[in-house]
Amino acid sequence: MVKLTIDNQTVEVPEGTTILEAAEKLNIYIPTLCHHESLTPYGGCRLCVVEVTQNGVTDLTSSCTYKVEEGLKVKTTTERVKRVRRLVLELLLVESPEAQIVQDLAMEMGVRRPERLKPRKDDLCILCGRCIRACREVVGVNAIDFAERGYSKKVAAPFYKSSPDCIACGVCFYICPTGAITMREVEKGEKARIPEGEEVTGPARIIYNWKVGLAMKRCKKCGEIIAPEFQLEYLRKKVNLPEDHFDICPSCRE
Amino acid sequence: MSSLKDLERLKAEGMNSLFPSKTKIMVGMATCGLAAGAQEVWQNLHQEVKKRKIDVLVKKTGCIGLCQHEPLVDILKPGYPRITYDRMTPEKVGEVLDDLVKGKFKKAIMARIDQEEFLLDDTRTRYSKGKIPAYITSILPYKRLPFYKKQKRVALRNCGFLDPESIAEYVAKGGYFSLVQVLRGGKPEKVISQIKRSKLRGRGGAGFLAGVKWEVCRNADGDGKYLICNADEGDPGAYMDRSILEGDPHSIIEGMLIGGFAIGADQGYIYVREEYPLAIERLQIALTQAQEEDLLGKNILDSGFDFEIEICRGAGAFVCGEETALIQSIEGNWGEPKPRPPFPAVSGLWGKPTVINNVETWANIPVIIAKGAHWFNGLGTSRSKGTKVFSLVGKVNNIGLVEVPMGISLREIVYEIGGGIPNGRKFKAIQTGGPSGGCIPKNLIDLPVDFDELKKAGSIMGSGGMIVMDDRTCMVDVAKYFLSFLEDESCGKCVPCRVGIRRMREMLEDITSGRGREEDIDYLQQMAEAVKEGSLCGLGKTAPNPVLTTLHYFRDEYEAHIRGKRCPAGVCKPLIIYSIDPENCTGCGVCLRVCPQGAISGRKKKPHKIIPSKCIKCGACFEVCTFGAIVIT
Repeated sequence: MVKLTIDNQTVEVPEGTTILEAAEKLNIYIPTLCHHESLTPYGGCRLCVVEVTQNGVTDLTSSCTYKVEEGLKVKTTTERVKRVRRLVLELLLVESPEAQIVQDLAMEMGVRRPERLKPRKDDLCILCGRCIRACREVVGVNAIDFAERGYSKKVAAPFYKSSPDCIACGVCFYICPTGAITMREVEKGEKARIPEGEEVTGPARIIYNWKVGLAMKRCKKCGEIIAPEFQLEYLRKKVNLPEDHFDICPSCRE
Repeated sequence: MSSLKDLERLKAEGMNSLFPSKTKIMVGMATCGLAAGAQEVWQNLHQEVKKRKIDVLVKKTGCIGLCQHEPLVDILKPGYPRITYDRMTPEKVGEVLDDLVKGKFKKAIMARIDQEEFLLDDTRTRYSKGKIPAYITSILPYKRLPFYKKQKRVALRNCGFLDPESIAEYVAKGGYFSLVQVLRGGKPEKVISQIKRSKLRGRGGAGFLAGVKWEVCRNADGDGKYLICNADEGDPGAYMDRSILEGDPHSIIEGMLIGGFAIGADQGYIYVREEYPLAIERLQIALTQAQEEDLLGKNILDSGFDFEIEICRGAGAFVCGEETALIQSIEGNWGEPKPRPPFPAVSGLWGKPTVINNVETWANIPVIIAKGAHWFNGLGTSRSKGTKVFSLVGKVNNIGLVEVPMGISLREIVYEIGGGIPNGRKFKAIQTGGPSGGCIPKNLIDLPVDFDELKKAGSIMGSGGMIVMDDRTCMVDVAKYFLSFLEDESCGKCVPCRVGIRRMREMLEDITSGRGREEDIDYLQQMAEAVKEGSLCGLGKTAPNPVLTTLHYFRDEYEAHIRGKRCPAGVCKPLIIYSIDPENCTGCGVCLRVCPQGAISGRKKKPHKIIPSKCIKCGACFEVCTFGAIVIT
């Protein structure tokens, strides 16, 4: 166990715990954006920065990535910390002014978009990389990744083409904090077009960002939609289930 | 090779090659020489030698530092000092060869070199033992050229003095004897303690104590440790590492071997950018030679120590010079930095303890082993030991690579080594530390150059770029230039760097276009400070330095742009107007002929005029007018 203090409160946590997790234990709130408890810490949004003092040296660091150390002193609300958090939110208000979570966090901290900077209205994606990490670490598919670098950076399927690996599981859609990923369920018999691609007839699921539209599997007994065919096939192979395993929906199986 | 005897044999071979019994002609064939036309000189030299049937050796060598004078050709004729011709052309080759055949060198010689220094052995060998003709003794020895007078070449000890494609010549200069010494001693801890005592600080940027890093890595748990040479030099205008790689590749290999033995690693990587093809080629040759001599591989020199080195080519991302991004790149991932801790010395490449040092750091290692920590400690200042290589570029007379003891003043570098500012202009500032360094103004010209002093002045040592600026340089424009570079090179992982640099650059764009607002200065300052604090890696943490230092030292220029809508240095095009002063104009017509837009009119011997609507403010007229009649307002 490792003992440290956060905002003058002492806490003891197992080795390998991050400052963010230790703070949660003390009910100390640290705002986050790119962090998700099921994913590897990324440290990209810089919203969770805190001030740490160890061996007489004080520095700012991201609490989601910093592992606790014995005797570490952490401060979560100093002026330095607030200044960086304000900057991050100001910049995100400029980049993704429509993102609800950014607006909420800014409101919470009393941050407003600086008059001097013109907002860009078109992009909800804040490049937190949660979709990429979820696709890689949780689903294990690796269908998407970052493309370009710096200010031109974006999340995309390889070469901006239709992703050949996407199984339309929708994890990226659900884990995105800003709603930057557009996914649509195409109803039975309905027709819809995949971006830069062909027309699909429902039941199907389209994820616009990765330019994929995949058919949904229906239960052979009741006809209800279960999940995308590719996703079920991926799962079936991964856990080595019999070929007809997903032919019937869970409720009909019971 | 398995013993000291074998090394001595190679040394003897190398001495014969360094001081051959017949005339040797050496051509400076580093990238700086090649860019100035050394390849053509080299080819023509071969042809002319063949045509004239002269029995001479023609060899390549690295950069001796005086890049402004390239291509450099040296002639080493037995009985004579080594003589250097500068600015050689294929045409001049014939004349020089004629002189050589006649036995009297008539062609203007830039400098003579009387003796070859062997830094590691602490010996000197004279090129000529006999009487030297008076016309040659009247030429200045190179050490007395102002450019070299204050230099102390340690990392660059061999550059320009040996054939980088010859392992024997490297050994003749004392190379690989440090490795033998270390392996025979058999005590890695002793090596680490020596490097620690030398107080050598990493030459790549942050200036962390190399010995401490090595010790942390050696003591870190786990088997399988790695060692990396960071050769991903990417600062605009800086080429210290390239020069060492091209001019003395074996010094890096020997440094890494010693490091590998000290920390207990058996695999090293050299991460070098693809844009350095010649450096890669020479490194590859050097690695093959070292393998053939069994200086790489299993059971090196019968000591039981195994070590391999692999070259890893980077695709030219500036951020991959940051150590955690570099590791990601070697692993085949996105070149994105990771938050530290864990530090690479504890968990680096493939999660194993890893030491990363840059090229210049590795080149210093064999010297410290050979000459001792105490010797190294004798050079430099109290907290910055040894020497530092700088690439001195910009508005300075002697452009080139210089290596000076730490603590030398900027004034000595600019005015003595650099020979001052060209065209009678005034010194304004010097930019150190590459794009993320800072601009130091002229009132700090006596600042001693070391890690701490530069930091105090708001800049950094960085890897050693030095850009001299004259009074025709606009500091707001300079800040904008560096931010555009960094905006382009930011990996985009963290918000402050990705968006902050972009927004600051846009604000500078506005200021230099006359759209700046009064509140911009404060807002820039505020944002720059927050980006510095909040960014994830060294790139973002130092990116605001150009803005912060120019705001600090040249605030009046920002104010002139914003309030007066004028650019005092006459650089920012939207804010300047070119005109001709009729008092000074003699009507010579030079400006009229050089103007690419036909924007100048006037009759001969009558004052000319610039037509503002046609003028694109290229400055061509300003450059050619010798009467000072072109006025920028």
